[in-house]
Amino acid sequence: MSGMLPGGDAAVYLGVAAIALVTLGARLGGAALMARAPMTDRAQRFLDGMAAGVMAALVATIVARGGARELAAVGAAALTMLGARNATLSMAVGMAVAAAWTALV
Amino acid sequence: MTNTDRPEDGGAAAPAARTSVTFSAGGVRRGFLRFAALTPFVIPFGIAYGAAAVEAGFTAAQAVTMSALVFAGASQFAVLEVWADPVPWIAVLTLAATVNARFFVMSAALARWANALPPGRRFLALCTLADANFADTHGAMRAGERDMGILLGGGLAQWWAWVVGTALGAYAGAAMGALERYGADVVLPCFFIALVAAGLRERVNWAPAAVGAVVAVATMEALPAGWGVIAGALAGGAAAALRP
Repeated sequence: MSGMLPGGDAAVYLGVAAIALVTLGARLGGAALMARAPMTDRAQRFLDGMAAGVMAALVATIVARGGARELAAVGAAALTMLGARNATLSMAVGMAVAAAWTALV
Repeated sequence: MTNTDRPEDGGAAAPAARTSVTFSAGGVRRGFLRFAALTPFVIPFGIAYGAAAVEAGFTAAQAVTMSALVFAGASQFAVLEVWADPVPWIAVLTLAATVNARFFVMSAALARWANALPPGRRFLALCTLADANFADTHGAMRAGERDMGILLGGGLAQWWAWVVGTALGAYAGAAMGALERYGADVVLPCFFIALVAAGLRERVNWAPAAVGAVVAVATMEALPAGWGVIAGALAGGAAAALRP
């Protein structure tokens, strides 16, 4: 299954390095920008909104492509998070629902 | 997304903070120990990633390298969603940048302390910035902590667990059998929905989250893999920026 690599082994490592650089750029970039010019309120709101939007977009896409099992798992995880405010517990509950669905349905 | 504090200044206007911020080995050690209790929860998440990465076509060595160098679970999982042959690199890198844009905001929020350090130590302090150690360090610095080493310490505590977990999942994942049996295939959406649900406690996130979800689903058939999510993220950002 992993014998033939997409784009070849070296290309994958180059891509991994590029992803790492993009991520490091985000980690260092915020402080670097602030040293030169404070972010405008609007830019700050755009980045905050994008952070909220991208997570919701990923979940919605996965649930839309999946089915009732994914929806049940994600719904259980969301309710757990809203109730218990514990991300780890929330993930555990979602996985348990999905595992039970596979075993029973 | 957990970051709601506006970075009030860039460091230049905070001479008091600038003179008193430190970065010491003792601080790194303290930060590491503060996260000792969280580490056992990072490993299973790493196992799920390692197994999912191998299933998506990575070799085990590639998956472990990814976790060691990138150290950002959300973007690593998101990349698997669009991974294909040939690799759509522009979509992959744009998606990674979009998912990790929150680190940019967190980094800016820590600027007034981070920028008080010399460049080498500033780099070390920020290079393992992630959701949990950001929240911990930001709260501690605001409460009077002066040692930015705790940020790196908290990052390193999660980093080794993330890499070890990924290795376990990548090398032993095949022996585990189908991921569906353990529900491990839904770790990603459950992790993301937990972040979304946490963000929904703040009303300002409601519109961006709703817009992001709707735009992503509406465009996912029309756009190449990954770009629906990127479109949703940009629309969510626009909804927040254009808010009156």
